[in-house]
Order: sequence, then C-alpha cells, then structure tokens
Amino acid sequence: MSMKIDRRSFLALGVGGAVGTALTPLPWKIQDDLAIWTQMWPWTPDPPGGANTYVNTVSPLCGSGCGVTVRKVGERAVKIEGRKDFPTNEGGLCNLCAAGLQMLYGPTRVPFPMKRIGERGANEWQRISWEEAISMLAEQLGEIRQAGQPETVCCLSGRRYGSMPDLLKRFMTAYGSPNFTVMPSMADGYDMMLKRMHGVEGRVGFDLGKADYILSFGSGLIEGWGNTAYMIRINSLWKENNATIKQIEPRLSNTAAKADQWIPITPGTEVLLALGIAYVIIKESLYNYDFVNNYASGFEALRSFVLSGYSPGNVAKQTGVDQSTIVTLAREFARSRRPLALCGRGQGHVPGALGGYVAVHLLNALVGNINRPGGVWALPRPAMEGWPEPMLDAQAQAGMAKPRLDGAGGPAFPFAEQLANRLPQAITAGRPYPLKALLVYEANPVFSMPGAAAVRQALQQVPFIVSFATHMDETAAIADLILPNHAHLERWDDVAVTAGYNRPLVGLAQAVVAPQQDTMHTGDVFLQVAATLGGSLAASLAWNDYAACLQEGHAAHWADLEENGYWLDRSYAPETWSFAFPTPSGKFDFTASDGDLKALFAPIPAEGDGGSYNLKLIAYDSVRIANGAVGSPPFLIKTVSDKVLEGNTLLVDVNPETAQAAGFREGDAALLKTPLGSASVRVHLSPDLMPGLVAIPRGLGHTAYDDYLAEKGINANDLIGPVEDPASGLDATWGILASLVKA
Amino acid sequence: MTQTGDFGKPKRYGMVIDLDKCTGCGTCMVACMAENNVPFKKDESDKLKSITWMRVYRLTNGKPYPDNEICYLPRPCQHCAGKHEGHSPCVSVCPATATDYDKDTGIVSQIYTRCFGCRYCMAACPYHARYFNWWDPVWPKGMEKYLNPNVSARMRGIVEKCGFCFQRYQKAMEQANMEGRRELEEHEYQTACTQACPAGAITFGDLYNPHHKVHQMAQPDFTKGGRPRNPKAFRLLEELQTNPKVYYMSSKEWVRKAGYKPDLLDHQAAEH
Amino acid sequence: MDSALIPKGVKRCPIWQFALGLGIVGAVLLWGVYAMFLCWFKGLNQTNMNDYYGFALWIWADLAVIALGGGAFFTGLLKYVIGKDDLKNIINYAVLIGFICYSSALLILAIDVGQPLRSWFIFWHANVHSMLTEVAFCLSCYFCVLTIEYLPLIFENRQIDKVPFVHNLTHTMHEYMAIFAATGAFLSFFHQGSLGGVAGVLFGRPFAYREHLFIWPWTFFLFTWSAAAYGPCFTLLVTRITEKITGKKLVKDATVQLLAKIAGWMMFTYIIAKIIDTIYWATTTAPSLGFTLKDFYTNNPVYGYWILIAEIVVGGVIPALILIIPQLRSNRLLLTLATILAVVGVCLDRWVMVLQVMAIPVMSFDKWVMYYPSWQEVATTVLPVAYGIILIMISYRYLPIFPQEAELNPLAPETPAAVAADAEETVDEGPEADLAPAEA
Ligand SMILES: Nc1nc2c(c(=O)[nH]1)N[C@H]1C(S)=C(S)[C@@H](COP(=O)(O)OP(=O)(O)OC[C@H]3O[C@@H](n4cnc5c(=O)[nH]c(N)nc54)[C@H](O)[C@@H]3O)O[C@H]1N2
Ligand SMILES: Nc1nc2c(c(=O)[nH]1)N[C@H]1C(S)=C(S)[C@@H](COP(=O)(O)OP(=O)(O)OC[C@H]3O[C@@H](n4cnc5c(=O)[nH]c(N)nc54)[C@H](O)[C@@H]3O)O[C@H]1N2
Ligand code: SF4
Ligand code: SF4
Ligand code: SF4
Ligand code: SF4
Ligand code: SF4
Ligand SMILES: [Mo]
Repeated sequence: MSMKIDRRSFLALGVGGAVGTALTPLPWKIQDDLAIWTQMWPWTPDPPGGANTYVNTVSPLCGSGCGVTVRKVGERAVKIEGRKDFPTNEGGLCNLCAAGLQMLYGPTRVPFPMKRIGERGANEWQRISWEEAISMLAEQLGEIRQAGQPETVCCLSGRRYGSMPDLLKRFMTAYGSPNFTVMPSMADGYDMMLKRMHGVEGRVGFDLGKADYILSFGSGLIEGWGNTAYMIRINSLWKENNATIKQIEPRLSNTAAKADQWIPITPGTEVLLALGIAYVIIKESLYNYDFVNNYASGFEALRSFVLSGYSPGNVAKQTGVDQSTIVTLAREFARSRRPLALCGRGQGHVPGALGGYVAVHLLNALVGNINRPGGVWALPRPAMEGWPEPMLDAQAQAGMAKPRLDGAGGPAFPFAEQLANRLPQAITAGRPYPLKALLVYEANPVFSMPGAAAVRQALQQVPFIVSFATHMDETAAIADLILPNHAHLERWDDVAVTAGYNRPLVGLAQAVVAPQQDTMHTGDVFLQVAATLGGSLAASLAWNDYAACLQEGHAAHWADLEENGYWLDRSYAPETWSFAFPTPSGKFDFTASDGDLKALFAPIPAEGDGGSYNLKLIAYDSVRIANGAVGSPPFLIKTVSDKVLEGNTLLVDVNPETAQAAGFREGDAALLKTPLGSASVRVHLSPDLMPGLVAIPRGLGHTAYDDYLAEKGINANDLIGPVEDPASGLDATWGILASLVKA
Repeated sequence: MTQTGDFGKPKRYGMVIDLDKCTGCGTCMVACMAENNVPFKKDESDKLKSITWMRVYRLTNGKPYPDNEICYLPRPCQHCAGKHEGHSPCVSVCPATATDYDKDTGIVSQIYTRCFGCRYCMAACPYHARYFNWWDPVWPKGMEKYLNPNVSARMRGIVEKCGFCFQRYQKAMEQANMEGRRELEEHEYQTACTQACPAGAITFGDLYNPHHKVHQMAQPDFTKGGRPRNPKAFRLLEELQTNPKVYYMSSKEWVRKAGYKPDLLDHQAAEH
Repeated sequence: MDSALIPKGVKRCPIWQFALGLGIVGAVLLWGVYAMFLCWFKGLNQTNMNDYYGFALWIWADLAVIALGGGAFFTGLLKYVIGKDDLKNIINYAVLIGFICYSSALLILAIDVGQPLRSWFIFWHANVHSMLTEVAFCLSCYFCVLTIEYLPLIFENRQIDKVPFVHNLTHTMHEYMAIFAATGAFLSFFHQGSLGGVAGVLFGRPFAYREHLFIWPWTFFLFTWSAAAYGPCFTLLVTRITEKITGKKLVKDATVQLLAKIAGWMMFTYIIAKIIDTIYWATTTAPSLGFTLKDFYTNNPVYGYWILIAEIVVGGVIPALILIIPQLRSNRLLLTLATILAVVGVCLDRWVMVLQVMAIPVMSFDKWVMYYPSWQEVATTVLPVAYGIILIMISYRYLPIFPQEAELNPLAPETPAAVAADAEETVDEGPEADLAPAEA
C-alpha cells in the first residue's frame, strides 16, 4: 500500500522534474556554451595581431641567396615570400625558404653558448656566459699559437663567398693557419677546371637564360643545383623559349622528367659519353674553327687522344647509351645556336672527378661557347674589396708557410685550393701534423660528408672542436664548445650570389627580427677573439663590430646595398677570347695543362669488390629534402612522398626487373649492404631507375634535431664513402657497390 | 552562367596551372601550409591522414622503363561551381552550411567554427581536396610564433581545405575600400602558392575578366559551365560537371587525357 | 523475487539466471562504452577512418540498422493504416526492435561526428538542400514517434499499470496509435529515402550517383522500398531467435506467414526495380560520367562483380522467391533461411553504398584505398547490439510484448512449489546460454 504511494510520488516527481527542467532555458544555455567552448578550445593557439610590416632581405639559408620579403605582425615574422624585384628568384622561392620560419622559431635551435660537460656526443652541456665562451676560445687559440703551432687549427666553412667566410679566412691567415677550408662542392671542380683550361683563378657563370640547347650531365637543374629558385625560373624560361633540354643520368629525376629527353646512363661513365660526343664533333668537323684554330691550344693532342679510343661504338658499350643517340646528341649540340653543356651531379655537393668537368667543358669549347652569350663565363670571384691587407707577424708567416692539412696546393694537388674531403684522413693520420682545434661554421660535416662514420671518428680525435651552429646538428653534438650564431633573419649578413650566376651580385641580409635565443653573430665572436689575442690579429681584425667590417668590405657598393638590398653589376661582360686565357700559351688549353689525358679522363671505379655485391647504390638530391648544413624543417619532410618514407623506414628505388630477379615485391623489407655498412629498408619497385641500381635520397637519417626529422630514413653518407680522384684530389664518388638481401 | 567580360561584380576567381612548367618542387605546398597555419605531425608519411590543402600529385604514363614519363600535378581545391552555379559537390551536401559558395567571388569557403565534422563533404569531393583534423593541432614549442593572425588555427574534429587564400582577398578589399575603390587590380589579390612558385607555373585571377591572364590562358566558355576553349587546357573530371575553376595546361596528350579519362591510365599515382 | 513485475500468465527464468545473462551482455556493452569514451575524449584518431574514408563502418551500421528497423514503420502502416489487424500480435516487438535500431543509429551518429557538442548546428544552421539535414530531422522526429509507440508497452507493466493516471494515459495513447503509426510511416518514408539520397546525390562519385526523379535520386526510393521489404524480415528473424532462446512459441504462424508474404512481395518488386536501376546506371549513367563497370569492380583486392551477384541474387531474388511461394514460405527452415539471406542482402547493399563508394578512385591518377576498422570502431558498433539485447531481455521479462504468449504456452494450474520446480526445468534454457548466437 505505502509502496504504491511511493511509486506514484516518485513517478510524479520524475516526470514533473524532467518536464520542468526542459522548460527552463538551462539545458539550451548549456548546449550553447559547450558549442562555443569547442569553437575556442583553450589549447588551440590564437595568434596575436599587430602592425603589418614587410622587410626586404636576402636569405642566407642556402648559398643561392634569394631576395625575400618577410611579413611581420608586430615583432613576429609570420611569412617569408620571394622578392619580385630581386634579380635571381624574381618573387619565387624554393620550399626551404618557404618553410624558413620553422628554422627561426622552434625547439632545435641552440639556445645559448654551451660547453660540453659529459662524454663527447653524450649531449650533456653546461650553459656559459658569452664572456666565458669567448675567453675559452681565445685562451685555447692563444695557447696553441704560443706553442708555435698555429697551423694545427683548422676552420671549416659551409659558405665559400661573402664577408663571413672571408673574415674567417682573414682571421686564420693573421693567426697563422693555412687551413681555412670550405665544404666540398662542384664549385671546387669548376674552379680547378677554370685554372687548367682558362688559366683563370675565378668562378664559372652560365648565361643560362640565352642558352637554347642544354646538355646536362646529371645536374639537378631544378633540384637544388646552382641557385635553386633561380634555376627553376630559368627552366620555365627555357620552356617559353622552346629551348631543348637533354638530361643524362641513371634516374628519372624531376629534372629528367621535365627535360625533352631523358638519357639513362651507367653511373660513373658520364665522362666517356662526353668524350664520345667530342669524338663525333671532331670527326665530323662540327666544331668552331675560329675558336679552335685561333684561341685554343692542345687541340691536336686532344683530337688524336679522343679519336684513338672514344668512338660512339666503344662509348655505347661502356655507357649503355646507344650509338645513334650519341651521334644525334653531338650533331644537335654542335648545330644549335647556343648550346650549353653542364655538369656537377645533383646539387653538386660531391664535386666528382676533375676529368668530368674538363670533358664536359671541352664540349662547350669545341663549339666556341665560352665567354659568349648563352655560354660559360669565367668571372672574378666575389671579394671584400674594401678591406686592407691583413698583417702577418712572424708567427703567422711561419704558420702560413706550412703545408695545408688537406694537401691542397701541395706537390700532389698543385691546382687545388682546398680539399675538405681529404681532411678526415689527414686528421686520422696526424700527418703532416696533428690537428689541435677545429672551428666549424655553417657546415655539418659529420652528417653531410660521404663516409660520415669515418668523418665522425676523425673528428673524435680532435682535442678541441668549436661549432657556431644555429641548430643542434650532428657536428655541434660532438663539439666541446658551441657558440650559436644568430639564425637567418636574425643577423646581418651578405650573400655573394655565385653558384653559376653570370653577373657579380651581392645581396644584403639584415636582422629582420631580434635574436630569439641568447646567440651572438659569429663575426663579432671572431672580432672579439682577435681583440683578446691582440697583436697582428687585433690589427688585422680591427673593426668594432661585424657590421662595420661588413660595410667597409662593401664600401664601393654600400649605397646600393642599403637602398636596394643588393648590388648587381648589370653591365658586366666577360673578357673577349683574345684576352680571356692567361695560360702560358695565352690560349684556351684543351689538354687542361695535363700531359696524361688518359689518367685525367679515366673513369673512377666504385668502392667495393664486385664479387659479393651485385648492385650499385647511388644517392640522389631531392628538392623536397634539405641535405646540406640545414636540416629539413617539418614542412619539407611533410612533402616527402610515401614512396620514399613509410613511418621512419626508407623505401629504396629499384627497377622492377632487378627487384623481381632478386625476388622482391613492392614494399618488401630488405637489408641494404655496402662495404661501409648496412641498413634496414623497404623496396619500392620503380621504373624510374636503370636496372642493376638502388637509389636513395640524401638528407635523411639525421640523428640530431627533433622527432620531426631525426631517425627518419637513413643517411646516404653512412653507406657511401669518398673516393679520391687521383688527378685532382677531389671526392669523385658517384656511388658504391651494394647488395639487397631479404630481411 | 553566361556572363563574360564583366568588369564589375561578380568575379570568378580561378587558377591556370601550367604542367609543362611545374617541376614538382613542392614549394606551393609549403607556402600554403605557411600562409594558412596548416598543422603538421611527427609522422606525415601516411598521406591518407596528412593535411595538404595543396597536394602535388605525381602522374605516370604507366609505361615501363625506359619509356616511362612523369608529370607533376598540383591540386588545390578546385572551387567547383557545380552543375548550376553554387551547386558544388561539397557545398550542396553540407548539412550545417559550414561550407559555402560565395556568389561574388566563386570561392568555396569553409567555416571551421560551424563545421561539426560529419565528413559528408569529404565523401562528396572527388578531388580529395578536403582534409579532416583527426588530431588536435600541436606546434613544437616556440613555432606558434609564426602563425598568421589572419587565418584561425583549426581544432580537432573538423574539415579544412584550400580557400584560395580568402584572407588575402579580404585584406586587399579592405585596402581598396579605404582608397574608395570597389575593384581590385589583378596583382592585388594573389594566392600564396601562386606567389611562391619559383617556376611561375600557377596563374591566378578573375576568369570573367578578359584582361586577366587566367581568362586569356584558359579562355573559359561560361555558356558551357566554364569549359576551356584553349585546346591545351583541361579541367579535372570534366564529365562530372563539377565545373572547377582550376584549369591545367599541358602539351602532352597523355597528361591531358589523364585529367579526365579514367580508363586511359592504370590507377596508380604517388604523391611526390 | 521480481515476480510482482512479471506479466500475468507467463513464465520467466529465475532472477539469478536473468542477472547472469544481463551480466554477460553487460560486459560487452561496457567494452563498447569504453571505446565510445575513447572516441569522444581522444578524438576520431582512435578509428581507422582517414581522408579517403570519411564515411566508414559506423555510417554503414547506421544505414543497416535503420533499414532493419524499417519493420516498425511498415508493420505499423500495415496494421493501423491498411488494417492488417492480425499483425497486432507482432507489432509490439516490431516497435521495440525499431526503437532499438533508431536509438542505436542516433548514438552512433553522436560518436561519428568530429564535434558532437556542436552537432545540433545541423538543426540550427540547417542546409535544406542536404540529404543529411533531411535525415537528421526525420530521424529525430521518428525516434520520438517510436518512443511514443513504445511507452504504452512499458506502461502495461503489471505494477506501473496500477497507477490510474498511467493506466488512463496508456488507454488514450492506444486510441491515437493509428495517427502515430501514420506519422511514423510518413517520416520513415522520407528519412529512409533521404538516407538513400545521401549516396545517390554524390555527383562527384559516379559509383554512387543516380539519376533523379523530381528532386530525389533513384536510391531515395530504393532505400525506402528496401527498408519496407527487409525490415519485416529482420523482425521475423529476431522473433525466431527469441523463440529459440526462450524455447517458446511466441507468435502464431498465421501472423508470421502474413508478414512474411507481404515482405516477400515487397522484396520481389524491390529487387526488380533494383535490377533495372543497376542496368540503367551501368549502361547509361556511369558511362556518361566517363566510367565503366570495370572501373568499379576490378583492379582491387576486394570489390569484384561477385558483390553484385551476392547482393541482388543471393540477398534479393532468392529470399524473395522463398517468401512469395507459399509452399516454401510455410517451411520453417526455409523461412528462417530467407530472412537471414534478406538481412545479409540489405546489409551488403548499405555496405556497398557507403564503403565501396569511398574505395573507388575517381581521378584517373588516384588509387584504390582499402580500409579495415579499428577495435574502437568495432566495439562502438557492437555496443548497440549489446544494448539491444539487454533492452529485449528486460522488455520480454517484464512487459507483455507477445499478446499470444500466454495462450500459446498455457501454465499448469500451479502451486508455489510447482513454480519453483518449473523454474528449475527452465535452467538449461536460460538466456545466457543461447544469447551468444543472437549477438553474433
Ligand atoms: N664549397 C662550396 N661551398 C659553398 C657553395 C659551393 O658551391 N661550394 N655554395 C654555397 C651554397 S650555394 C650553399 S647552398 C651552401 C650550402 O651549404 P650547406 O651547408 O649545404 O647549407 P646552408 O644552407 O649553406 O647552411 C647555412 C647555415 O645556416 C645555419 N642554419 C640555419 N638553419 C639551420 C638548421 O635548421 N640546422 C642547422 N644545422 N643549421 C642551420 C647553419 O649554421 C648552416 O650551416 O654552401 C655555400 N658554400
Ligand atoms: N628546394 C631545395 N633547395 C635547396 C636545398 C634543398 O635541399 N632543397 N638545399 C639548399 C642547399 S643546402 C644547397 S647546398 C643548395 C644546392 O645548390 P647550391 O649549393 O646553391 O649550388 P652549388 O652546387 O653550391 O653551386 C652551383 C654551381 O654554381 C657554380 N659556381 C658557384 N660558385 C662558383 C665559383 O665560385 N666558381 C666556379 N667556378 N663555379 C661556381 C658551380 O658550378 C657550382 O657548383 O640548394 C639549396 N637549395
Ligand atoms: S634557393 Fe631556396 S633556400 Fe636558397 S635562398 Fe633561394 S629560396 Fe631560399
Ligand atoms: S611550386 Fe610551382 S613548380 Fe613547384 S610544385 Fe608547385 S606548382 Fe610546381
Ligand atoms: S574540389 Fe572538392 S572541396 Fe573543392 S569545391 Fe570541389 S568538391 Fe568542394
Ligand atoms: S564535415 Fe563540416 S563542412 Fe563537411 S559536411 Fe560536415 S559539417 Fe559540413
Ligand atoms: S590558394 Fe591559398 S589556400 Fe589554396 S592552395 Fe594555394 S595557397 Fe593554399
Ligand atoms: Mo650548395
């Protein structure tokens, strides 16, 4: 009975309550508030506004030095865009600069000066003040100099031209060390070639815009070769002008894909193809009589050499390029109005053998396409003309008289200016003298040099390593002292645009934003160190600050630099043939001042014995992956294909025919072995590669940086080592013997 | 729509992408991500869950070595007009009007704060131009500093896509209005990808305006839903009558066919 | 001890046995609830859906349960509007099953959307051109109708019914049931249809797109039609399963046969329409969009022509024939087989219209993409099944769902002792033992 009443009242209460609440605005209000909350979750960032400004500068992110405009909102840089009125990129960018702000901001920056406290590479650091940092550096350098061994200090720079490399070189000179070295690149090959064929100490430029037939020996013309963004613009210009592009390389790269013809070639035999083409041009007398007869020497020697062994028939056998193609290429090349032959594999970080540069350049010479519109020009190198000569005291002179560690300029390699690739072996051998200190500027040799493991081991032997890296890269990780440079957009800097650009051009980089970390401009660091060391060093680097030395160096063009952000010598014209070749003969030298052409042009074999390895591994430069001293920012890695990275696993390209022969199906796990080591990978069947090859990209397999980059894929330089070109000492490696076994 | 050569409103903003010039460098993808606060994860190798408003596809002619050819094809949102203006595949199906067709500009908008993540629009879009935020966006410490204040950061559980950098249109219009103008110069409103492309492969402008490059290149016939008159130009999936405002140009026939003849190619392509 | 709640004149298994059954199914339910909260709090990254599969397992489950729940509106239509009075013996169960299916559908949707807390925007910022808007409105309205149709059943519980107010309310509701049934049928016609429209309007997806009649694509009518045809089959199947589990006959053959016959003819006519639609689509619609059948059924590991045969012949023609031919229909086994084939057939149809649509590349350079659900998706999809079983167990135990049960299973004049004895006997027929197959 009572139970019934309970139930009734309960029901009444329940129903009444429900209806009641439903009638109040409460549930609806809650609904609305919840929805609004989801529209502005507290953990979703809400970028603050501010005044909009645009700052023009150039990007020192890569040597291309494109003109950029940085959009700022308040104090924040929010976008990097191309500068439309800049001579090279004309408003365009490449993906690296487009993602550049992820390098300026973010967690991989070196936050402050640090000294190593743990084991080398254990990544245990102690923050120190800038005063302490600079005095530590000055002290070490001072002691070594006091001990009369200034030559045992080496400075390795990633950049070749501009105030910073010049300042470093000047410091080293006044300090007394001949060991200022720049990271290897095809520039070394071109420079050496210029010396030996033109007799010029300069740099090459290419009048690309006017060329109408481009014969590219594996150059990644639109993939980071030369000035990346500029080259891509030039490529479009070529399309508009119906220029013909022939791409010679074993892989269907972006460049090959966009070319009018892709000519697959057995890697390492490019030099033979060039000579085969020369054979046809000479045999069929398609060459430029005026140039060859009146302005060149050594043609007869070359002629008999080439005709003796490089007939299309022979060349076809060794290169895999068929005879008729060779003949056609030769005739097309010779009969075009403005043909241009280019070399430097991929982005040109590995120079390759000197013979290749000479063989390709003599094609340009045969058609007389030198210092002419649409041709190859020899230009003076950029220099800080406003600076007085450095002062060398006795110690400095003694030190500078010593041979270079890398042997460049010595008896073995008289034409070489620097051979950074030979540094590791010299350091390991301790000959001609042990290295006491290494200063690394804007370079990451431990990651980006072939045979990375050997490089690391060599560096481990150096008692004192100083890095000026902006980001915690692999080299910085094994340093004893890190004095972080301002990152790009934080620092004043200049970029002497070279990389094949055919006019003198200097861009001025300014500090667009205040330094985000406790960093110092490396230029100022060296000025202060010099001042501390005193004497002729202080006298040679007497500027109050880097800005002053930058301005003085460019005094002649400073007005332009300040007003336009760049200085361009529009009127520049190369020397005419009569005055262009200060060789002993006063003429262009077809023999590259080398008696032994056979040795010069001998193809370089790949490392490893054929027996246990049935494949060849080649590395390629991807325009989607930064592979120099700069690590790929997250946006770049995001654009990497799922046919290259699967999770952190690298997919290697293998021709379907080759893969099937080895019993591999798409995506199969495999162990990629080379004489240097092995790595677990997956197989991607790709028709875009010659049979018998395995191809992997450069720039992956970082151990430094953060999870957005580290441990993704493998570092090609761990599997491929350097191979020395006997003729020049340059690193001639183009690949390595390898095998793929089921994993 | 039969209106052509109208200098006043409405506009029909569109793109012409020259596939002969496109190098596949991917700068357009990055520029877009940088301009539009597109999030990124530690692992972006699963392209089925990777937000790229602009995606560069890698087309192959399907032939074996050495006759194989490759063409790169950048794919932003096509800003489909639909069978009849405004009846875009996605807009017509969104139950909450969270994506809309702007009759003034022809731009298909996406309203992040209204979208509730039913993903019907994704099912409707044949171009896979729409991306879902499967995760909450996270920026590594400090990187939030570069975020563009003109584009709101999205939250988990909603769809986003290319909006032809609409924020740039708004800024340009504000500027013009302050100067008492109702019309924009061609250069005043350009998208981030167009600007950044080092190859100059992307051209952007008003398809209605005969003085704009896009009009001259594509020669759209608005009596036929904007079909290109230029024989070198084509649109993706022309037959579906989605009537995109993104045009492609190629001198290669296999590429032009790949644009809209499904049976001519083996179904394979990898993003590169 | 809960005997006071159990309807008069029927026998139920002992409470401990019932509780055990509840416990087992409840465990499955909790697993689903856990997954549900994972999806809500961690987001849809818990699923294997991706940018190609914006619609996946859940949306399929939605379409499927709504089609299967179609038994409610169609049986209601037949009984209250068309006047097939004999169906009163199964209508309660049809309504209950419908209620379960539709509440499940709504729950699944609430998990499926990326921003559940905003999902009411679909009403607030409604886009009248969107099929999904139509679905949302009709679905919610029809769910209310189902609730109204289900409530009286609850009120008929022995104890609740003792409350005079409730008793009168129930009585009044019964009087107006025809109106609700009619409304339900009307609403169902539209949301079943618009669910078909969801795929049919996708003119960017040649596999799904269909020509329109007025503003509706053919799939609109096909879906309604198939729901009317297949829904009752599901009602019959579940009834059969319940009978197996309880070991009792609950509905007289006359009723079953009547519903089966009607469903059969609906299915027969539907499948003819479906075949015509398929032929027209394959020969006219798809080609006009630049596609051929081969683009839809080749070049991939799963979706072959077999799926067409399976859906139309095995899941359509065969059960239809069994159901319309009296000799076959009257065979208990064949009848059950037919209902099973039918249920599989309609589920397959909904699968194809959701997942195959997503799998097929449209751009020539795009690729087939396969998908398999994550455990969270499976769990959340099993959740409604467990919930349904529990609701059926409770309703069956305490509510007079089957009017003919008492008559078909007369109780011996009983003494308290006898009740106990009977109770023992029913042990091996307890729910937990046989519920498993119902789950699967
Ligand atoms: N021998 C030779 N030297 C050259 C050239 C050449 O042709 N030959 N060319 C020049 C040209 S064109 C180029 S591109 C460069 C190539 O040089 P690379 O070493 O390939 O890379 P850069 O872009 O120059 O690196 C610039 C510097 O920016 C800083 N930096 C900015 N962001 C990061 C980051 O995220 N991580 C790290 N670790 N550092 C960062 C680093 O200090 C880095 O060293 O070399 C220049 N120097
Ligand atoms: N998209 C994209 N862009 C990139 C990168 C990337 O990863 N992705 N990487 C950046 C990096 S790190 C690099 S290293 C660059 C690669 O490209 P760069 O490093 O910018 O180009 P280099 O290969 O250094 O120089 C190109 C060539 O120009 C000529 N050259 C330049 N200077 C001289 C000179 O003084 N003398 C002579 N004789 N010839 C000279 C030589 O042929 C030289 O090899 O690309 C940069 N840009
Ligand atoms: S080439 Fe690319 S990375 Fe180098 S400066 Fe130009 S835009 Fe920047
Ligand atoms: S930026 Fe230009 S060239 Fe590079 S991929 Fe995009 S469209 Fe092609
Ligand atoms: S491309 Fe896709 S998202 Fe863009 S408008 Fe067309 S259908 Fe909509
Ligand atoms: S996901 Fe958002 S935009 Fe797309 S249909 Fe649903 S509500 Fe509309
Ligand atoms: S138009 Fe703007 S939003 Fe669209 S792809 Fe280009 S940059 Fe991205
Ligand atoms: Mo470089």
